[in-house]
Amino acid sequence: MSGNPPLQNSLKPGKWVNSTCKMCLHSCSIRVHVTDGGVVNKIEGNPTNPSNAGKLCPKGNAGIMRHYDPQRFKQPLRRTNPEKGPGIDPGWEPIGWDEALDITAREIKRSLDKDPRLIMPSLEDFQKMHIWFWPLAIGNHNFYQSGGTMCGGAYHPLNGYIHSAFGAANDAKYCNYWISNGGGDGFSSHLHAAAAAHWVAKARVERGMKVVTVEPRMSIAGAKAEEWIPIRPATDRLFAMSLSHVLVNEGLCDYEFLRKDTNAPYLVGPDQFFVRDADGQIFVWDKAAGCAKRWNDPTLKNEHLALEGEYVVNGVKCRPAFQVYKDILRDASPEAMEKHTTVPAATVRRIAHEFAEAARIGETMTLEDGRTVPFRPAAYNYYRGAQGHKTGMQTNQAFQLVNMLVGNIDHPGGRCGVTITDGCVDNNHCQPGECGQMLGAPHQLGHMPPFAWPPNEYHLAGYFPVGVNGPHLNMLSYTEPEKYGITFKPDVLVNCHSNPVWSIQGPREKWIQFLKDMRFIVCVDVIPTEMTDFADIILPSSDYLETYNAVMIEPPYTEGICFRQPVTPPIYDTKSEEEIFFELSERLGVLDQYNEVINLILGFNQKPHLALEPGTKYSDRDIAERLGKLWNDKPIEWYIEHGHSSTERRLDKWYRPWEGLRLLFYIEDLPFQREQLRRQFEDAKVPFRDEWPFDDYQPLPTTVLDPLHYEPPEYNLYAITFKDIQMNFGESLSNPWIKDITYRDPVHTGLLLNTATARKMGFANGDIVLVESPYGKLYGRLTTAEGIHHETLGISNALSRTRNENRSVLMSGGHYNDLLPYDMKHTDGATGQPETTCKVKITKLADWPDFLKQGSTVYDFVDAIEKAEGKGGMH
Amino acid sequence: MTQSNDRLVGNSFRPGYRFQRYWDTSMALAFFFAEVGAGLFVVSLFLDLVPGMVLGLALAATLKPYFHLAHMGVPKKSWRAIARPDRSWVSRGAIAVGVLVATGALHILAQTVGVGLPPGVAAAIRYAALAAGIVVMCYQGFAMSASEAFALWASPLLPVASFLYASTAGVLLASIIGALAGHGPALAPGLIALLLVADLAVVAGILVAARRKSKGGAFSAELLLKGRYVRDFVGGALGVGLVLPLVAVVAGGDGLVLRIGAALAMLIGFFAFRLLMLRAAVYEPITHELAASIGLPARS
Amino acid sequence: MAKMGMVFDLKACIGCNACVVACKQENSLPDGVFFTRTLSHDYGEYPNNKRVYIPTICNQCEDAPCETVCPSGATYTREDGIVMINSQKCIGCSSCAVACPYDMRTMLSDEMFQKGLFGTGQLTPFEEQGYDRYIAGTAAKCDFCSQRVDAGLTPACVSTCPTNARIFGDLDDPDSAPSQAIEKRGGRQPLPEKGTKPKVYYID
Repeated sequence: MSGNPPLQNSLKPGKWVNSTCKMCLHSCSIRVHVTDGGVVNKIEGNPTNPSNAGKLCPKGNAGIMRHYDPQRFKQPLRRTNPEKGPGIDPGWEPIGWDEALDITAREIKRSLDKDPRLIMPSLEDFQKMHIWFWPLAIGNHNFYQSGGTMCGGAYHPLNGYIHSAFGAANDAKYCNYWISNGGGDGFSSHLHAAAAAHWVAKARVERGMKVVTVEPRMSIAGAKAEEWIPIRPATDRLFAMSLSHVLVNEGLCDYEFLRKDTNAPYLVGPDQFFVRDADGQIFVWDKAAGCAKRWNDPTLKNEHLALEGEYVVNGVKCRPAFQVYKDILRDASPEAMEKHTTVPAATVRRIAHEFAEAARIGETMTLEDGRTVPFRPAAYNYYRGAQGHKTGMQTNQAFQLVNMLVGNIDHPGGRCGVTITDGCVDNNHCQPGECGQMLGAPHQLGHMPPFAWPPNEYHLAGYFPVGVNGPHLNMLSYTEPEKYGITFKPDVLVNCHSNPVWSIQGPREKWIQFLKDMRFIVCVDVIPTEMTDFADIILPSSDYLETYNAVMIEPPYTEGICFRQPVTPPIYDTKSEEEIFFELSERLGVLDQYNEVINLILGFNQKPHLALEPGTKYSDRDIAERLGKLWNDKPIEWYIEHGHSSTERRLDKWYRPWEGLRLLFYIEDLPFQREQLRRQFEDAKVPFRDEWPFDDYQPLPTTVLDPLHYEPPEYNLYAITFKDIQMNFGESLSNPWIKDITYRDPVHTGLLLNTATARKMGFANGDIVLVESPYGKLYGRLTTAEGIHHETLGISNALSRTRNENRSVLMSGGHYNDLLPYDMKHTDGATGQPETTCKVKITKLADWPDFLKQGSTVYDFVDAIEKAEGKGGMH
Repeated sequence: MTQSNDRLVGNSFRPGYRFQRYWDTSMALAFFFAEVGAGLFVVSLFLDLVPGMVLGLALAATLKPYFHLAHMGVPKKSWRAIARPDRSWVSRGAIAVGVLVATGALHILAQTVGVGLPPGVAAAIRYAALAAGIVVMCYQGFAMSASEAFALWASPLLPVASFLYASTAGVLLASIIGALAGHGPALAPGLIALLLVADLAVVAGILVAARRKSKGGAFSAELLLKGRYVRDFVGGALGVGLVLPLVAVVAGGDGLVLRIGAALAMLIGFFAFRLLMLRAAVYEPITHELAASIGLPARS
Repeated sequence: MAKMGMVFDLKACIGCNACVVACKQENSLPDGVFFTRTLSHDYGEYPNNKRVYIPTICNQCEDAPCETVCPSGATYTREDGIVMINSQKCIGCSSCAVACPYDMRTMLSDEMFQKGLFGTGQLTPFEEQGYDRYIAGTAAKCDFCSQRVDAGLTPACVSTCPTNARIFGDLDDPDSAPSQAIEKRGGRQPLPEKGTKPKVYYID
């Protein structure tokens, strides 16, 4: 009762500080309570941010356990044990900052002076792009971190083509029919999970939005869906194309939109390029006039543009892009695709009709800004699982074409582009391209380095002109340097908040050797991970409750800066990432270059008074202050008080930001890039040019099967991995509160095998098994379940940690990434996206292998929970 | 893996059965010594068997509080247990134990030393001791039956079982002490046999009632009769504790050695019964029932 | 006087357990102790199987068996219907724990406070500032964050819930959000046959 001394943490005497979460890479607004004694004792969502609206996910709620983790690096450390390996004590010796920075700079410089390419950066802080892009300051384009293709390798470039944006989201404000395909948006993961879950739940509960979830494992989205449709892994594109088959063949498309707002009417020749006149102007077919006209012919009326048919223009046989896709879709009937997807054809046909009906094609709504725009409250969402395949670009495009066919792109209730950041509040992300089209912008994180033979990047980035950095490809250069023409071998690794040895696919043993071969490794991090075990020097960074930052990072429905500020001074002898990298830059003699990189990357050049000056080192506070001013000219004091400048997305940037331009139904840039790259390969006589997967560049998706489906038949199950909201994005499993909730949830406590399948194959719940793919293996214990496709083994990401110096991390039986290939056969030639599904076989074992009998494993922890008998309320 | 193990969920966030372990061995020992002590005291009171009264009272006054205190989370505040006799059987029992010890001691003193009490007062003390003894014999059963949490417990047969078991132990022990003390006629084997049969019947009744009452009750009964406790319950509590003494008493008549053996067996079985009644209690398949109660299909 | 209650919206709940962690934060719960949990309940056979996430919490029963059996008078019901424990009075007899049909009581032990959340035997500053409110050996449970309620706030779990699956308010007020939800969407109490009159309802 009032009058009682406050016992609850949020009521104790102290202060609230408005800041920003960083328990995942996104940026929900938080308010943090610090007691008068200086102890951080409560983190809540900040209700003034219209994105997360005062809500937080479990990770955001668990930030205090990161801040006070007793295993945090407390001062710079130097390795004394020369032997490196998982579980081998590095023999850390505390040293001073000056010495640590001097050693680090000296070792980097030793290699840098020889060849900048000898540096291998692994800088994962996605809330600090100025750290991510630090390598540009030393003229280096290597890449060894789990962003890039381990993220949405094909998703981001394709969004760049469709929305000129980094991400995309279904518009929960109006959507009434939500297809969720292999992605957790709005339920469990990806963009601002708490915020998205909030708005999607409102749509479901208050507006009765229907959810249909298509995925091999019943995720949270599957559980909340009106209908869960299990699908065979790595066939999602075929499902989407079978939907499109029905939409196209049964007249369920938004033809007005396709004619007016897309390049679907543009005529395509047999060479996959548009048919152009001598000036490069593209032809369309005017049905009324019965002839071809240039796209910008003033006599053209949109309603007369042909979408279908076959024509001859200037002697070239051609079809409108729409007709090209319709012809491709001839092979994609629901009946034909069912053989691959296992989704019943009748279900596909029903869903297609429901989707098209819910899209209310033809209806419009008037927005608050006075514009009348199409109202399309049905949208197809997809992400990580559905898109992570060898044919990534085609797959992503197939999904987006479902949206495009019903005309919902960037329309209320439909599929809307989400920018990673706008820099200034008035920046529009869409730019005009050629012949009335919107400019396709696949390079949402900056351009890839230019082609060179022999390659200049260890991960061959120059061979992916519209792709994303593929960290797994470092393994090609490492294992087959002669084949890939590698003329240098990186020997210094600069690592910051990145755990590549854990998060990049391919065999752990080889990655470990890759690290052991490094002459020098520096890790900037907060807590020990699998990666920091290999460091020679640890530079401990302050955590998110001790530093400044400012970021707008793909908030799905809002825009503006989320501001981070120290809630407490650093509790250990740590520094901000900025301080560390400015110090290193100065010692390396590249401070001016670094400042220029930051001016470019963060956009300070747009407001020259904000630009960093040569010869000056800046603090985290300085950078945050400038980012705030860049957005809305507000001084840092304003941000310190408010914690964010987040507002609902401005309508002109959210709906039809490309007004007047045509969207890319047909991505001509892809065959263009393919042919250019092919020429470069030919001209340079690149020895592996005949096996390079040029075919992955297609202007429209095809029904080609991903190669994993052709693995030898003894691999009789598909394997997938998954996370839920408590593991969304980065490291969580050393956090006791996250462990608490993760290992009590039945989907994270064993390898999920369909109950009936297990019975058929002679397996039982609790069996210890060896899981083998053609590329690697792991050990685990089966959990039989109903919520998993009958040909699929589901392997939670919570069952993937390996032994390391962080004693809070529970070892499991290996890593799912070990099961995956890293080769070009399974890598999308267009984007660099590697295959993330694999085929496996499982064998029952009598007992765990020896290495899993020593020490505490996930399964021991799970047993302790599941076999507990409620003693003294321990539940 | 048996089906019942599948339905036990420990501390995971899954629906299923959870064991209660809040009341465990210490509490079982406290209950056991309270009932054995009070039973022996009350029977001895009827028989005017002073050594029996002394032993019974000693058990109720020492081991019972010892184990009860050992169970308590905050032993030093345990005196507060008497605060709410208006509603709590634990309070009532605690008070009854106090009354029993006080009046029982006075009664024994009056009997032995011959403290000069007026006859009316002496009689009042005797009746008070008797009444308190009977409450102590029963209250554990009431305390358990007051819990709707466990179908195994939530039965009016629980206090009956407490009373009958305490009486059986009291009669068996009193007959041995009486024989050893050369005191009066040994209790008829028929009475002992009758009590043992009654114990058996009430235990059977508890299980039948539990099974009928709910899925949780059926699960508890299954644990005792088929599941993980079958050996200790059927073999120990029923076989050793009731059937064996019954055979010994019926076959052996008044023989002292057999009577001692029967008493030991009965006490072993009694303790097994006390402990397993605590251990086999499971929280209702809370989420199954919850699921059903909120209109969702329950997992079979 | 008010009758504070909570409604769980099973359609909204995504089983993320943010509520569980928020509760642990707000109330400095020691390791292994939960005042609220979200159960993951699967039923039906593939491919027609379903899953529902079921939040559970102390039901703050009107006829609270934990209060009836409490021999020390430590458990009592506030005027606004929140069932409270006076730790100073609690003797740790566990009668309440075995009386609660919902298994929502926890008996605190020294070990819980000594091993620490990281299991190292040392306490973080967060734990050191938070464990004062507890007495080892006594019973503990959710009290709807009664002090936050007194301060005009919602319980921590309600405040953080991303999907608004927890609706908190005065059940005596027919216009309150929980009363409206119960009336419009058919609120049902957990295990009504236990006769405890829970002030927690489920809607779906």
